[in-house]
Amino acid sequence: MAERVSTNIGTAAIVLDRDTELMLRVKEGDGASFAILLDKHRSPVIHFLFRMVQNQAVAEELAQEVFLRVYRSRATYEPTAKFTTWLFRIATHLALNALRDGKNERLQERLDDDTGDMPVRQVSDHKPSVEQSLVYQAKMEEIRRAIAGLPEKQRAAVLMHKYEEMEYSQIAKVLGCSESAVKSLLFRAYETLRARLAHMA
Amino acid sequence: MNCPLETPESAQVLLDYCSRQLAPASTEILERHIAVCGACREFADNQRAVWQAMDAWEAAPVSADFDSRLYSRIEAQSSWWELLVRPLRQVTTRRAVPAMAMAGLLVAVGFVLERPGIVPLPPPVNGGDRAQVEQVQPEQVENALDTMDVLAEFSRQVRADTPGSKL
Repeated sequence: MAERVSTNIGTAAIVLDRDTELMLRVKEGDGASFAILLDKHRSPVIHFLFRMVQNQAVAEELAQEVFLRVYRSRATYEPTAKFTTWLFRIATHLALNALRDGKNERLQERLDDDTGDMPVRQVSDHKPSVEQSLVYQAKMEEIRRAIAGLPEKQRAAVLMHKYEEMEYSQIAKVLGCSESAVKSLLFRAYETLRARLAHMA
Repeated sequence: MNCPLETPESAQVLLDYCSRQLAPASTEILERHIAVCGACREFADNQRAVWQAMDAWEAAPVSADFDSRLYSRIEAQSSWWELLVRPLRQVTTRRAVPAMAMAGLLVAVGFVLERPGIVPLPPPVNGGDRAQVEQVQPEQVENALDTMDVLAEFSRQVRADTPGSKL
């Protein structure tokens, strides 16, 4: 987000981040700018959604909806916040709805029996033994369950804080709450995770 | 410094420290405290362990056809919209205005010609009055006029019979 562009609207000078500038170009009908935004944010959005709903197929389906909404909203887009704040707000909203609708619960049984969504990690010799694979899978399962056990908002806050490296203020805007509420959410979430995962050190 | 673990608010400093978001000056002060505080050291060690464990949780790679599926959906929605809008676009605005005016005029003329017998009435005072007027037949009107003539004749005779009458 280092690249910034300044523009003047009326008498007020507004500093737009690069993504916001691209989105404004999309608004003007520039399809190439949408492709750049998609290329840049595709993986972070899908990975965030995957960790939220813990199912790759559902995550991709939701991510499709996220980018579809971005595209559909291009005509009415106003740069009132950072593009990523807006993007993750849509993603979080869809993820929380999916979780509340129970869409993910219906897939939970399948997930329990199917570890296909978990990437196969290459260990040092590139040929993990059966034992190493089992240990790795068990570890991932424990982490997955610890994250899934968090209340939805705590989970979203932790994922944005840990994996997207968002600042408290940005997480607050995404979740629609105060910065102090975010700090409280994170503190309680990490407290739970420390109790469940600290032994993995 | 006071132990950050004394209150949840100040314990946030330890989270910031573990995520390397603490300012260098504050980091230095906290590290001096951690060196002598077992509880804070344990907190920081456990938090680092959690973060290491979370680092190991890699997301699955994105499907190769993700973009093509997305663009297909965008295209499908655009096509749907195009189907609705295309007929209107083929008629340019300059042609559309007189055409629409002509169409409106034809509709208005058709409406008037379709109801030739209707003569506009003044707005009724209430619904009951209007219903009464619509139900009056020619015979009723003639009867009413005859009755009025009889009453007028009767009045004239009464006035003639009574010289002091004010009728």
